[in-house]
Amino acid sequence: MIRFEGAAKRHPDGTVAVRGLDLEVPAGRTTVLVGPSGCGKTTILRMVNRMVEPTAGRVLLDGTDVAALPAAGLRRGIGYVIQQAGLFPHRRVIDNVATVPRLLGWDRRRARARAAELLELVGLPPETARRYPAQLSGGQQQRVGVARALAADPPVLLMDEPFSAVDPLVRAGLQEELLRLQGELGKTVLFVTHDIEEAVRLGDRVVVLREHGEIAQLADPHTLLTAPADAGVAAFLGRDRGLRGLGLRPADSVPLTGLDPAPTPDLDLGRRIPYGGWELALDPSGRPEHWTRGAERHPVPVFVPSRDSLRAALDAALLAPSGHAVAVDAEGRAVGTASRAAVVEALAAANGTGTGAPTPEQVPHAGR
Amino acid sequence: MNWLGWLHDFLADPAHRSGPDSIVHRLLEHLAFSAEALGLSALVALPLGLLIGYSGRGLFLVTAVAGVARALPTLGLVTLAVLLAGVGDTAVLLPLTALAAPPMLVAAAEGVRGTDPDVRDAARGIGLTHPQTLLRVCVPAAAPTLLAGVRTASVQVIATATVAAYVGLGGLGRYVIDGLATRNYPTTVGGALLVVLLAVGVQLLFALLIRLAAPPGARSSPRTRARRTGGPSEDPATVPASPPALVKEVP
Ligand SMILES: Nc1ncnc2c1ncn2[C@@H]1O[C@H](COP(=O)(O)OP(=O)(O)OP(=O)(O)O)[C@@H](O)[C@H]1O
Ligand SMILES: [Mg+2]
Repeated sequence: MIRFEGAAKRHPDGTVAVRGLDLEVPAGRTTVLVGPSGCGKTTILRMVNRMVEPTAGRVLLDGTDVAALPAAGLRRGIGYVIQQAGLFPHRRVIDNVATVPRLLGWDRRRARARAAELLELVGLPPETARRYPAQLSGGQQQRVGVARALAADPPVLLMDEPFSAVDPLVRAGLQEELLRLQGELGKTVLFVTHDIEEAVRLGDRVVVLREHGEIAQLADPHTLLTAPADAGVAAFLGRDRGLRGLGLRPADSVPLTGLDPAPTPDLDLGRRIPYGGWELALDPSGRPEHWTRGAERHPVPVFVPSRDSLRAALDAALLAPSGHAVAVDAEGRAVGTASRAAVVEALAAANGTGTGAPTPEQVPHAGR
Repeated sequence: MNWLGWLHDFLADPAHRSGPDSIVHRLLEHLAFSAEALGLSALVALPLGLLIGYSGRGLFLVTAVAGVARALPTLGLVTLAVLLAGVGDTAVLLPLTALAAPPMLVAAAEGVRGTDPDVRDAARGIGLTHPQTLLRVCVPAAAPTLLAGVRTASVQVIATATVAAYVGLGGLGRYVIDGLATRNYPTTVGGALLVVLLAVGVQLLFALLIRLAAPPGARSSPRTRARRTGGPSEDPATVPASPPALVKEVP
C-alpha cells in the first residue's frame, strides 16, 4: 500500500506543483490519477519512487517512508512505465526487459528466460525479442515498456500516461491487455492519465485532481460519472458523462425477446425472421447475416449481453435499421433481440439503482 | 617529369624499401606518436566530456575550449613548444595532444547531452545509479557522436604530425621536409601522398566503426538522427573490405 501524508512539492523557482496530498493507494488495485495538464499528476507519481523528493510531508510504502530507502534499490522494486516507453535504443528488446533482473544480480540466462516469459505475457511474438526498440511500432514499444517494468515482479507499478502516444485503436488494445494482466497479477497500480475515458475504464478508483495536486474527487468510476462532487468535476468529465456511465453498466439487464424461428421454405439457406418491414437473415449456424427489406441489405449491429456494456447495447439498437439490437453469444450466434424501447427501459432501471458502487463483477471489462 | 614519375622514383628508391628511412618504418613512427598523442588526449578529454555532458555543468568550458582550439595555429604551437621544451618528443606530443582534445571533449559532452531525456529518465526510474546510467545508457547512445569526435581528432593529429619532422622526430613528415630541403620532389610528393592516404584510411575505418556503433532500426528519434548524420558521408560502399587496423591503440 502507498500512503501520501501531506506530501508536497515546491520547486526552487517557487512553483507549487503539489500543495500537500493525503491519499491512500490500496494494494492490489488500480488507482488512476486524472486531471488537467500541470495539476501535478506526474509529480505525485514520481514521489513514490523518489524521482521527486517531497519538500514537505512524506510518502510511505507499506508503512516505510521511502525517503529512508536507498533510491536505486527502491526503484528496482517498483515498476515504472513512462509515456515514450524510454527503451534503451542500443539494447535488444529482450535485454531491455532483462535490465532490472540483471541489476538485481540475476545471471544472464535466468534474466533472459524471465524476459522471454514477460514478452509473451504482454502479447509480443517471440521474434521481437531479438529486435532493437527502433524496429518496433509505438504500441509494441509500449508493451516492451510494460514488460520491462514487470520483469522483477514488483508489487507496485507506476504508469505515467503510458498509452497516450499511440493511436486510439492501439490504445484500446493496450488498455484491454492491462486489464487482463492486472486481473492475473493483482499489482498495486498507480496510473496517471489526462483522459477521463481511460481513467474510468482502467481504474478501480479514480482520483480527480485540480491545480496543485488537490483532490477534487476520489470515487469508483461509476460514482464519479453519476455523482460528480462539484461543477468543476462535472465539467472535467464532459457533457457525455451519462453515456460514459452506460459504458460501465453491463448489458445483461436488457430484456431479450426470443427469436421466433419462422422457418422459411429454403431451410438450407438459413432463416429469415420478420421485424416490422425488415427481416433478420441468419445463416444455417444461426449467426446474423444482414437486415433485409426488399433489395436493401444492412449489416447487423450486435452485442454480447454477458460481456458488453449497456452503451454497446444502446449503440446496436440505434444503428440497427429495424430498431432491434441483436444479442449474440460468444460464438456469434443470435440468441435474441432487444428493441430500442427495451434497451431504454433497461437504462432507466440501471440509473434508478445506479447510485451505489457497482461490484467488480458488474463492471464490464473489469472482472477480477 | 610528371608527378606519377616522381611517385615511381619514390617507391623504387631502395632506401624507402628497408632500413630506418623505409616507408613501413616511417609509417609506424608516424602512427606511434599520433596514437600516443591521441591516447593521452582521450584519457583526459573523454572522461571530462562525458561528465560535463551528463551533469550539464561546465558546458561553457566546452564551448570555450572549442572556440580557442579553432583559433590556435598548430604550427605555431609546435614551434612554441620546441622553444620552451627543447627539441624532443614532448615538444611535438604536447601540441598534438592539445590539438586532439577539443574535438573529443566537444563530442563526448554533446553526445551524452544529446541522449534522449526519456531514456535517461527511464534508466533512473527503473533503478540504475548515476554511473550506471552514464556508462550503460548514455555512452552507448552517444557512441556514434563520440567516435565522430575521435575521428576528427585522429585525422587532425595524423595530418599535423607531419610537422614532427621539423623538430627532428621521424614519421612521414621526414619525406616531405627532407625532400624539400634537398629539392628531391619525388620524396616530397610520395611523403605527402602517404599522409593523405593514411588520413583517408583512418576516416574510412571510423566510418565503419560509427556504423557499427549506431543501434539498428531506421526510426531513431529525430534528435539522435540529426546527430548521427552530422558527419561526412558514411556510405557503406566506400568502406574498404579490410580497413587498415592502424589506430587500434587509441582507447
Ligand atoms: N523542475 C520544475 N521546475 C519548476 N516547475 C516545475 C518543474 N517540474 C514541474 N513543474 C511544475 O509543476 C506543476 C506540476 O507538474 P506535473 O509535471 O506534475 O504536471 P502533470 O499533471 O503531470 O501535467 P501533464 O498532464 O501535462 O503531464 C506544473 O505546473 C509544472 O509546470
Ligand atoms: Mg505529466
